[in-house]
Amino acid sequence: MSAMDHGVVEEWLSEFKTLPETAVSSYAASLKDKGSLVPALYKVIRENYSDLLEPVCHQLFEFYRSGEPRLQRFTLQFLPELVWSYLSVTAARDPHCSGCIEALLLGIYNLEIVDKDGQSKVLSFTIPSLSKPSIYHEPSSIGSLALTEGALANHGLSRVVYSGPHLQRETFTAQNRFEVLTFLLLCYNAALSYVSISSLQSLCQLSSRVCICGYPRQQVRRYKGISSRLMVTSEFLVQLITGIHFALCNGELELGSRALDDVLYRAQLELFPEALLVGNAIKSSLHGASLKANKEGARSIQVEITPTAPRISRNAVTSLSIRGHRWKRHDAVDLGSPDELTEISEVDEGICTQASAAPSSPPTIVISSSGGKLSGKGLRRLTGRSSRDKDKDKEAASGSDQLTRKQAAVRAMSENLELLSLKRLTLTASQSVPKSGSLSLSRTASAVFSRSFEQVSNVLAVASPSSNHVAEADHGGVAYLEHLSPAHQHRQRSPTISVHVTSDL
Amino acid sequence: MTARKSGSRLETEIERCRSEGQWDKIAELVRQMSAKLISNDDLGELLLGEAKLQQYLKENPIKQGSSPRGPRPVLQEVRKHLTAALDRGNLKPEYMQEASLVMAKLCYVEGDYGEALNQYSRVNLDEMQLVGSPVYRLSMIAEAYATKGLCLEKVPMASPSLSNRNADRDQEIITCYEKSGDIALLYLQEVEKALSVGIQNRSPKPGPVTQEQELGFFLETGLQRAHVIHFKNGNLTRGVGRFREILRAVETRTTQNLRITIARQLAEILLRGMCEQSYWNPLEDPPHHSPLDELLRHSPHTKDYALSRRPRIYSGENLFCPQENTEEALLLLLISESMANRDAVLSRIPEHNNDRIISLQSASLVYDLLTIALGRRGQYEMLSECLERAMKFAFEEFHLWFQLALSLMAAGKSARAVKVLKECMRLKPEDPTIPLLAVKLCIGNLHWLEEGERFAKIVIDMGEKAAEFRAKGYLAIGLVYSLKATDASLRGMQEEYQKKALSAFQRAQSLSPTDHLAVFYLALQLAVSRQIPEALGYVRQALQLQGDDVHSLHLLALLLSAQKHYHDALNIIEMALSEYPENFIILFTKVKLETLCRGPEEALLSCKRMLQIWKSCYNLTNPSDSGRGSSLLDRAVADRRQLNAMTLPDFSDPETGSVHATSIAASRVEQALSEVASSLQSSAPKQGPLHPWMTLAQIWLHAAEVYIGMGKAAEAAACTQEAASLFPMSHNVLFMKGQVAELRGNVDEAKRWYEEALSISPTHVKTMQRLGLILHQLQRYSLAEKILRDAVQVNSTAHDVWNSLGEVLQAQGNDAAATECFLTALELEASCPILPFTIIPRAL
Repeated sequence: MSAMDHGVVEEWLSEFKTLPETAVSSYAASLKDKGSLVPALYKVIRENYSDLLEPVCHQLFEFYRSGEPRLQRFTLQFLPELVWSYLSVTAARDPHCSGCIEALLLGIYNLEIVDKDGQSKVLSFTIPSLSKPSIYHEPSSIGSLALTEGALANHGLSRVVYSGPHLQRETFTAQNRFEVLTFLLLCYNAALSYVSISSLQSLCQLSSRVCICGYPRQQVRRYKGISSRLMVTSEFLVQLITGIHFALCNGELELGSRALDDVLYRAQLELFPEALLVGNAIKSSLHGASLKANKEGARSIQVEITPTAPRISRNAVTSLSIRGHRWKRHDAVDLGSPDELTEISEVDEGICTQASAAPSSPPTIVISSSGGKLSGKGLRRLTGRSSRDKDKDKEAASGSDQLTRKQAAVRAMSENLELLSLKRLTLTASQSVPKSGSLSLSRTASAVFSRSFEQVSNVLAVASPSSNHVAEADHGGVAYLEHLSPAHQHRQRSPTISVHVTSDL
Repeated sequence: MTARKSGSRLETEIERCRSEGQWDKIAELVRQMSAKLISNDDLGELLLGEAKLQQYLKENPIKQGSSPRGPRPVLQEVRKHLTAALDRGNLKPEYMQEASLVMAKLCYVEGDYGEALNQYSRVNLDEMQLVGSPVYRLSMIAEAYATKGLCLEKVPMASPSLSNRNADRDQEIITCYEKSGDIALLYLQEVEKALSVGIQNRSPKPGPVTQEQELGFFLETGLQRAHVIHFKNGNLTRGVGRFREILRAVETRTTQNLRITIARQLAEILLRGMCEQSYWNPLEDPPHHSPLDELLRHSPHTKDYALSRRPRIYSGENLFCPQENTEEALLLLLISESMANRDAVLSRIPEHNNDRIISLQSASLVYDLLTIALGRRGQYEMLSECLERAMKFAFEEFHLWFQLALSLMAAGKSARAVKVLKECMRLKPEDPTIPLLAVKLCIGNLHWLEEGERFAKIVIDMGEKAAEFRAKGYLAIGLVYSLKATDASLRGMQEEYQKKALSAFQRAQSLSPTDHLAVFYLALQLAVSRQIPEALGYVRQALQLQGDDVHSLHLLALLLSAQKHYHDALNIIEMALSEYPENFIILFTKVKLETLCRGPEEALLSCKRMLQIWKSCYNLTNPSDSGRGSSLLDRAVADRRQLNAMTLPDFSDPETGSVHATSIAASRVEQALSEVASSLQSSAPKQGPLHPWMTLAQIWLHAAEVYIGMGKAAEAAACTQEAASLFPMSHNVLFMKGQVAELRGNVDEAKRWYEEALSISPTHVKTMQRLGLILHQLQRYSLAEKILRDAVQVNSTAHDVWNSLGEVLQAQGNDAAATECFLTALELEASCPILPFTIIPRAL
């Protein structure tokens, strides 16, 4: 380390100490102008025996503790380097001199696991659900969802915890090491947009080294540091991959893809499904993308104008096109009353598209399948739609859309319910069809059930404040059990309508 | 009268054709119109000019990035029509404007960008009415803005020296495109509405009902060019903002494909270019300074134009708005997934091969992004369900199959994962990782040893081709044999499997000498077959390779205890605990050793400390974490993954290890029975994963054992009761109850408890031994002998069983056999560890 670097670091060490409280913010803003400081600090961290290491770690911790986001990010950019420094020293079983880095890492960890009031932080997020309207979609236009157990369980928006609460840690042990480091990487990944290119490079290096040291690939990579194997956990690798992914897409194509390969190599050897899963996905998703290594360090995310016309020829069989298709069965000859079956499928299709007001093909498919004649139900559906569209016209003309839209929504909802009860009728009617038909009937019945379930829960969603739906997963499980029993659903239906109507009128 | 009426109908018909792009009908309508003389010819000229231009463009579509066409005969004709209309100037002002716009478009098509701009300067686009104007005019305005933007991009600046003007120009171009895009969306919404009304009005008429609307070059450009420029300029903030505006507009059939693309692209950007801290939600104003934007170019972050009418956006109460980048990415991807899934081509006839590949690629990209998003948040359960939906078009697609297998594995759905892995092996037989993953599952909680053996052999049969995985293959098969040896009930079988396991581990170790696992399992296998000194040598070697491996340390302690160096063993355990303070399996061993070395009081203190550790570890675990496995079935069984990570022995049988086949069955019965039983009594805490409660019960049982050792029956009973309140039907609890009863001298009660324990777990050796002894006391020798012989069959290294058997035989007067038993017991006792070696988990 040159004397100049030494000087830069010492100056940095001294100036913050004398800084008055009020000047912290402007000081933080000025940090990025000190061009030679960051490389000098990297040198200090890499040289484990530097006498500057301890004061530097101390000051980095002070930065982090200050709470000023820019100072915190300044510290955070060194995290990959610090982690590598710590891990390599531990692997070499060289107990002295990693003390201050350990303390810094634990210090950041202990600051991050609590919120402002000192309570354990629990990081959670909401799993979006297509059955709830969002700013980007309307559930009715999505069509039917698969009726899987998980889809039912996640029917509402469920909030899930993905990290925390964590215990305060005084020391690193073999048991908590990767728990702490994984959490630190999570914090680092949350600030990825703010870290410098050199930090991303350091992250890629860390990833490669952690994964290959002590394995035959170390020779291929010609890395001559420590040669003992480092234990890793799958979660830690997943966090590394997240950072590598960002590096890959933001200018570090070469280092990033090498690091990703190394992590995948290790994940294969360790048979870690989680890391393999995410790593494979990243590899495959970047396979087609034209990533240009942008040497100016620019973010290399680019999009192009894509043709919007459907690229798939219209007569190809897709999931959509066979949705209304009735499969021929070998023993379908003695089906009791085919008419009833078509009726079911007809109403069925109507339900899932009628609210979208699109001139979509399902209705026409339905008409042709029932032999060109429109049944009474079909007519009813069409008139229902036209009245709603008139509403829409009015709204467009008047410009004040809120109220009419709401009314339209109410109407649509009651239409749905009407159709629902219709379906129930046809269903019960067709249940009397004897034996051989019963198999296909049960299939239809389950499809009908899935739709009606969606509709009913849509009503529920509108009627009740969303807070009820952001229930904890525990309660979610119970709630969904309630939904699951058809009897319960039956009972619940009419009360919910009334609730809804009163809340809107 | 009739003429006027039909005239207005003609006008509406013309308007409709223009809106729906049915240009081929215009000529005929114009002919009818001029026949009726309801309008001057100029309108006819305009209409014919427009129709011919549009028809031309329909037949010769402009491609993105293609060069201009230059004059063509058809276009000459168009120009003639338009010039006629424009020159005479008899048209109503709005028709004049329309004529200018068509003219400008013609100029663009011919490559005369300057003249096009000239035309636009005559019409003030911004003043053209959006409210109340016919639908087709919306499309015209949208196209005009897009064309103007295109022209502005092509025509060089008059004075390029002024960089400030340049920035203004850039801004003007972007504004043109953004306006064009907004109006285009509005147009598409309106035209769709008009169509759906039209279908109903004309429903008796059989006409062409489903007219597939296509965007065409200009609208496509208008909708997309703005964000393309934003991203090219490195202005991620505005690009993302633009994406969101387009996506928030209510979808139409024509925009579906655009929405799929944009939703996916936005998700990509959210996952690849943003992080939690730089995120702002769609309803917030974007941050003023964002690290996402390049600093060099500074353009305003908000758009600076207003339109009199905007496309409808999704609205209503309780709309879900994402608050985090992963949330938004997930929402977008779920929407894309539902569309991609719906449009996936299923037919496999050769004509559709291309279509199928295209749809598969776009779908699998969506699934990859979903994997990235859900993987970050650890939502493997949900991911596995998403990937399951992809299976209907994933025939022979290795990537999707493998991802499904991995997600099932990560979600803890082991049995299904193995099945899917089998399919993966078929698709990619040369990859050694796949069978290895399958073995890992098989020798884990599935305990499918036969299947596991088959998978491991696949890897071994690959030979050199498996490269670094070859050693892993031998390790895997060694583990299978080792577990089989523990399961085997015949001594000969046991020994054979032990020998096979040993040689497999040796092979693994020679292939990969730096792998501590190979050495460690070699040591463990030697220890199980009671070759203590050899095992010690290898475990030291393992520790040299991986100094802080918890299982190696544990094995070392157990080996030392087998040599009766209890103090050394305790030291090792304490050393291990300094690195793994919350490892219960080590703590249990510690309690045992402390009872021997430091007396029961110390051991009780350890139990107390264990309870504290348990509390600090699991009080924290939030209840919703347990819901990670959202599936009911998965929640019902213990969270296996965590179980593996915590390396906890199966609660059902701490003595013979977690891996005995019957003990697994017993533990399942036990779980089911305990759940039924405790559902009757509401006090028992039953939320969350099962295994923390298993650990707790086990702590209580250990405490009970210490109390029994001290002769304190009341305390032991209390501890047992605590465990019983958690798992009333556990054979361990019942066994302990029997021990307490024995301590109190209630032989009959003890016998009853032991019999109940055996009815749940018929191979629980300790219970068998105690029951044998009681029967011996009751002088029912032959039954005692039978039970003890069975016990020896199950575990031939249990020296106290041999001893008891000797006593029974002696009592029956069979002295020769008794002596043999005593000798065996003595010999085994000399190498007996404080706890069986098999409590150390064996997993890949």
